[in-house]
Amino acid sequence: MLSLLPQLLVSGVATGMLYALIALSMTVAYRATTIVNFGHGDMVMIGAYASYVLTVTLGLPFAFAFVLAIALLFILGWVTQRGLMQPIIAGPHLSLAMMALAIGYALRGAARLEWGNGVLSLPRPYPQAAFMVGSVVFTADDLVISGFVLVLLAALFLVFHVTPIGKVIQAVFQTQRGAALVGINVRAFHAGMWGAGAALGAVGGVLLALIVPLSPDIGVWTLVRGFAAMTLGGFGSLPGAVLGGLLLGIMEKLLGFYVSTVFIDITAYLVTILVLLIRPKGLFGQHATLRL
Amino acid sequence: MTPLLEIQDLTVRFGGLTAVDRVSFRVDAGEICALIGPNGAGKTTLFNAITGNAPMESGRVLFQGAEIQHLPAHDIAARGARRTFQNGGLFGHLTALENVLAGLHIEVKSSFLGLLFAGGAAKAEAAATKKARELLRLMELETIEDHPASELSGGQQRMVEIVRALATDPPLLLLDEPAVGLAPQMRERLGQIIRGLASERRIGVLLIEHAIELVMSISDRVIVLNYGRKVADGTPAEVRADKNVLEAYLGHA
Amino acid sequence: MKGAPSTAPSAAAQLNARRAPSRRAFWLIPALLLPLPLWLDPYQQYVANLVLMYVPVGIGFNVVVGNLGLLAFSNVAFFGIGAYTSGVLMLKLGLPWWATIVPAGMMGGLAGCLASVPALRGVRLFYLAIMTLAFGELMRWVYIRWEPVTGGSMGMAVPAPSLLGWSLDSESHKFYAFLALVIVVIIATDRLLRSRFGRAFLAIKSNEEAAAAMGIPTDRYIVLGFAWGGFVVGIGGAMYAALVGHLTPTSFDLTELILQFAIIMLGGLGSLTGSVLGTIIVTALPELFRDLPGFEELAFGVMIVLVILFLPRGLASLLARAHPIFRDRYYRE
Repeated sequence: MLSLLPQLLVSGVATGMLYALIALSMTVAYRATTIVNFGHGDMVMIGAYASYVLTVTLGLPFAFAFVLAIALLFILGWVTQRGLMQPIIAGPHLSLAMMALAIGYALRGAARLEWGNGVLSLPRPYPQAAFMVGSVVFTADDLVISGFVLVLLAALFLVFHVTPIGKVIQAVFQTQRGAALVGINVRAFHAGMWGAGAALGAVGGVLLALIVPLSPDIGVWTLVRGFAAMTLGGFGSLPGAVLGGLLLGIMEKLLGFYVSTVFIDITAYLVTILVLLIRPKGLFGQHATLRL
Repeated sequence: MTPLLEIQDLTVRFGGLTAVDRVSFRVDAGEICALIGPNGAGKTTLFNAITGNAPMESGRVLFQGAEIQHLPAHDIAARGARRTFQNGGLFGHLTALENVLAGLHIEVKSSFLGLLFAGGAAKAEAAATKKARELLRLMELETIEDHPASELSGGQQRMVEIVRALATDPPLLLLDEPAVGLAPQMRERLGQIIRGLASERRIGVLLIEHAIELVMSISDRVIVLNYGRKVADGTPAEVRADKNVLEAYLGHA
Repeated sequence: MKGAPSTAPSAAAQLNARRAPSRRAFWLIPALLLPLPLWLDPYQQYVANLVLMYVPVGIGFNVVVGNLGLLAFSNVAFFGIGAYTSGVLMLKLGLPWWATIVPAGMMGGLAGCLASVPALRGVRLFYLAIMTLAFGELMRWVYIRWEPVTGGSMGMAVPAPSLLGWSLDSESHKFYAFLALVIVVIIATDRLLRSRFGRAFLAIKSNEEAAAAMGIPTDRYIVLGFAWGGFVVGIGGAMYAALVGHLTPTSFDLTELILQFAIIMLGGLGSLTGSVLGTIIVTALPELFRDLPGFEELAFGVMIVLVILFLPRGLASLLARAHPIFRDRYYRE
């Protein structure tokens, strides 16, 4: 039984990487505007569908379609924040939460209307191979996804800490008013960060679409896992989101195998409920939740 | 005579910060006691600790001789310690009249089951409504009784909040910066009202205020806080002459 | 809280000042509905019954979200628990339908108490929404897995409903039974909301700290609100069991949640009239577009967005502006 542990860990980490990316994309948007985008999962779903349309329906080469999908989602995130959230930003938090939710639902309905309830699959741009290292199987999916996310994380880290725009982001994250005082356009920043969050989410969506059948309901699935990962890692913490995602992926695999297969479905829900009840700060959370 | 309110060595800590440091004082029935001090001195925190809205680390709070420091906020309020809030404590989703009715909550005699089976709470409600209307009328606020609380002017909101706090004839009233944003005539009126409450109804009033003239003119006693510690406790004249007080304020300039 | 200089009374204030006519006039509505079955064909009657069934579901949801102001998405959990309780009691214990109504409500109420726990710990907004949503999904997972009791994913067929011996085999019979139940639920909830409890709910929604400072035991009332919401929705669940005759877990999924959410958002949060209005719109509309999957979600999503931007107090506010009898007043003359 224990002999399978390395295999479980490997697949757990691979899935966890995907969760980490989703959680990261949600955290980026949250940190900037302190509003959680309840429709985020559905944006991820749209990103996945966008890549489907671009590659399969329009026949564009994968890499190009990928970049285009990300760009489209960036715009969607920007426009949503600017056009629908910003006008009511001073209002009750309840309205903001509901607005985000309603947007997500509208997106889901539109997707369902257009593509129906059936599942689609995005063809892989790489061969579906598998490698054995000792007794552990590494699939091409695992490697591509993990590799991609790692590279992305490294790039994000560099942008954040080295580039000038990263400095701007850090500044606004720390103090919005201070940032405004030094001339940073905070509104554009908010919209941009939602766009960035949506774009990152789109990356996750595309990667997801490679390994999972695409349907309008994957949005909720994604949202719940992203949120569980954020909760576990500590709401608002970027490294926490990554760690939370990885842990979640690993937990799902381990519990799913050693305890019962039911845990594959419900670990995310249980984690959310239990962490919020027992240790709401999660692992790295330090931010007082400002607005939801 | 048992003091109406007695604080003994009250300490409140947030994380590593000591917001209130072993503060002790008393307020008697019919006495107007002002709590002043520079910003961040811990005044509102002290209020919150007294009323059960914030946890305290140590100390005792005695209300009418009984210990209340471990009681939940609604219990303390039910016992007769009522307050207003610094940043608008009115219920925005209710009208002015409904706000006062909410203040009368514990007096409206209706139980949940009685509600469903015994023809509703009509009698209890009507009686409370009458009282609430009368209270607003006494303060000359009857014209706005049906206005949603969020649409009232700042001054009106303050007044309604005070009416609401007074609805159950509480023996102790804690007012957190009631004069903020009020025009000078309104301030005077407020001062008169507070003085009337103390002298006619023997209500003990503890108030936080920055408007020094108001404080000095109506208070029987003034307590000065600085960095969470009590720095002075005496009559307005005594406090005005106290060197420590001057230092506290100048030190913050 | 910002205060506007009050030179002239606002529209809301003016409206509030007009004396509201007695609410007895509302009895006209059920009176007028009584002969309805004479004019409707069975399908239309079914739709009318569907609307009636959703009224308590919307009302219960609105009490928690609209009156208490807590973003709890546990409504579908209460709905499913009520439905399955009714079904299981009928199927396994052979109870007649009318005897399962109160137990279904009770189970819903119990679920409400459970769902209130995170709220009592201070969990709010997005956290609370996700946690209660998770609760609903966990319940759906229970319906699927607990096969011996719930029939699993294939669902369970529910025996024909009856009311004290009178068999409710036709839609028109069900109509009268449902109408009676709905009237009871509306009156009871109306009493609750217009009492000091209802006022306390709104106080908690506005400013929980200040509510406690007025002597309102906020924790207790939060549980009360959730329990009442769960109870009423559970009754709706029992009605659902009688209406459709076959329960499957897919009926209690997230799509169902959006439907119920749309009811209260469109109708008006915190308003009993709004719950009824919203139910009528949300239930009748899909019947016009049954063959377009996804249209519901899109239409409701867009409608909610528009309502939040332009009509934040829902359609009930339009009604209230039209005539004072529709206005919610939380005290008695």
